[in-house]
Amino acid sequence: MKLECTIDSKALTLHVNSTKPLSLMLIEDVGVKSMLSHCRGNACGNCIVLVDDVAVLSCIVPAFRLKDAKIRTFETFHRTRLCRDIERAYRVSGNKPCPDCYASKTLLIESILTELMGSSRSREEGVVDEKAIMQELSLNTCPCMDVTELLAITIQAFEYRRRRRGSN
Amino acid sequence: MEATRSPMIHQPRTLGELSLLFQRIEHPLLWAGGTYLMSRSDFYPFPSKAQIVDLGRIEELKRISRTDRHIDIGAMVTTSSLLSAGKLVLPSILKSALGSIISHITRRQITIGGSVCEPESRMAFSTALAVLDAQAEIRKWDEGRFTAAWIPVNRLYDKRGALLLGKTPFVLTKIRLGLEWGDFQRFVLIDNPIRTPDTAILVAFQATRNQTALTKVRFSASFPKRAFHLSPELENQLSLLNLPIHPDRVNTISYEMAHDLMNRHESITEFQAERTRRVFESFLHELNIQTLS
Repeated sequence: MKLECTIDSKALTLHVNSTKPLSLMLIEDVGVKSMLSHCRGNACGNCIVLVDDVAVLSCIVPAFRLKDAKIRTFETFHRTRLCRDIERAYRVSGNKPCPDCYASKTLLIESILTELMGSSRSREEGVVDEKAIMQELSLNTCPCMDVTELLAITIQAFEYRRRRRGSN
Repeated sequence: MEATRSPMIHQPRTLGELSLLFQRIEHPLLWAGGTYLMSRSDFYPFPSKAQIVDLGRIEELKRISRTDRHIDIGAMVTTSSLLSAGKLVLPSILKSALGSIISHITRRQITIGGSVCEPESRMAFSTALAVLDAQAEIRKWDEGRFTAAWIPVNRLYDKRGALLLGKTPFVLTKIRLGLEWGDFQRFVLIDNPIRTPDTAILVAFQATRNQTALTKVRFSASFPKRAFHLSPELENQLSLLNLPIHPDRVNTISYEMAHDLMNRHESITEFQAERTRRVFESFLHELNIQTLS
C-alpha cells in the first residue's frame, strides 16, 4: 500500500505491506537508528514512539492505521526541550538506561510526564501516584535499571517540567 | 514488490457499510485494536489473500451510553477511554480489572470488543465481566443478513477459555452491564498474563451482603491460554452462608474450590490452583473482617 505520513518532521510516501508493524517500517524502510529490534509483539517495551504525540508500542501498530500520522522517534525527540527535563534527571540521579533501551525508556517517561501534566492535581500540587507510575514503567522489560530508580528519575523530571511550565 | 502482496484493508464507517462488506467478502478478518493479532509470533508477513475489515472508523461502536437500567459499552471503546469515563461510575471490579492492564500505552490500544473476542486466552476484562452477569450483543451473519442476539459473557467461552461462537462470521457490537452490583467486589491479577502465562492468575469475585447473609455470589478465575473457570455450584454453596464464616469452614471451602479447579482443568498447574485458593480464601476472610468490624 502507499502510505503518506510524517516521520521525524519529514513528509514521506512509503510503499509498504498494509499490515507491516510500525517498528519494522522504521527499521527497514526509514532506517531509524534508535529502533534497535523488533520483538514481534512480545511486549518488550523497547519500541516506543510517539504517533500524533501519543506514545505507542510501535510493534503493535500496523501500517494501515498510520495514514497521515505524525510519527516522532527518539531521533528528533532527543533534540527537544521536553527531553532535556528527562536527561537532566538522569544526570542528577547519576544513572541512566543502557543504550539498548535508552530511547524507549526516555519516551516512556515522557508519556508518563504528559499524563501527569494533563492532571490538574498533579500539575498544580505535584501529587503523583507512585504505584501507577511504577506500573507504567514496568512496560519496558530491559533489566538495566531498577524500577525504583526509574521512579525517582521520573518524579525528578516531573519536577523540572512543572517548574519550567510554571516559569513560562 | 512488498506492496503488491498486501492484504486488502476495508475501513467501513457505519454498521450498514460493514453489512455490505460481509455480503462481498466470504471470510473477513475483523480488526479491532490489533493487540492480540500483532502479538502473535507469526503475524507478519500476514497472508496476502486475507481481507481485513478495520472497525476503527465505525463511530457507532465507540459509544458508551447509560440508562436507568444498564450501561452499554461499544465494542471499539478502548480500555483507556472506558477507565476515564468518569460520569458513568463503573463498578469497582471493572475499574480494577481495566487498571490491571500494564500500561496506559497498551490500554489506549486494547478495545473492549477485541478483548472479549480474542479467541484463545481470557484476560482481565472477560474475567470481570463474567461475575457482573454482563451480556454481549452478537450480530451473526446468517443467510445474507445480520441477526442480533444478547449472549451472557460467561457463556461465550468453553472451559479452556476459547471462544464458542463457531465458524459463522459475527460482530460483537456492544457489552451491556446491569446496574445492580454487589457491595463486595474484588479483582486480583497476579503476574503478567502475557509475559508469564504459566504462573499468572486472574480472579474476580462479587457478592451482596444482606445483613449477615451472603447473596448473589459470583466467582470466576482465568488462567491465560489454559482455563476459564466458573463454578455455579460454589456460588450456590456460598450464597447460602451466613457471615461471619467460621475459619474452619473458610479453609474447607477454599480447598474444595481448589480441588474442583484441578479436577475440571487439567491444564492448570498446582501452583496456579494454590494461588487461586489463597486469593479466594482472602476474599472470604475479608468478608468476615468487614462483617465483624
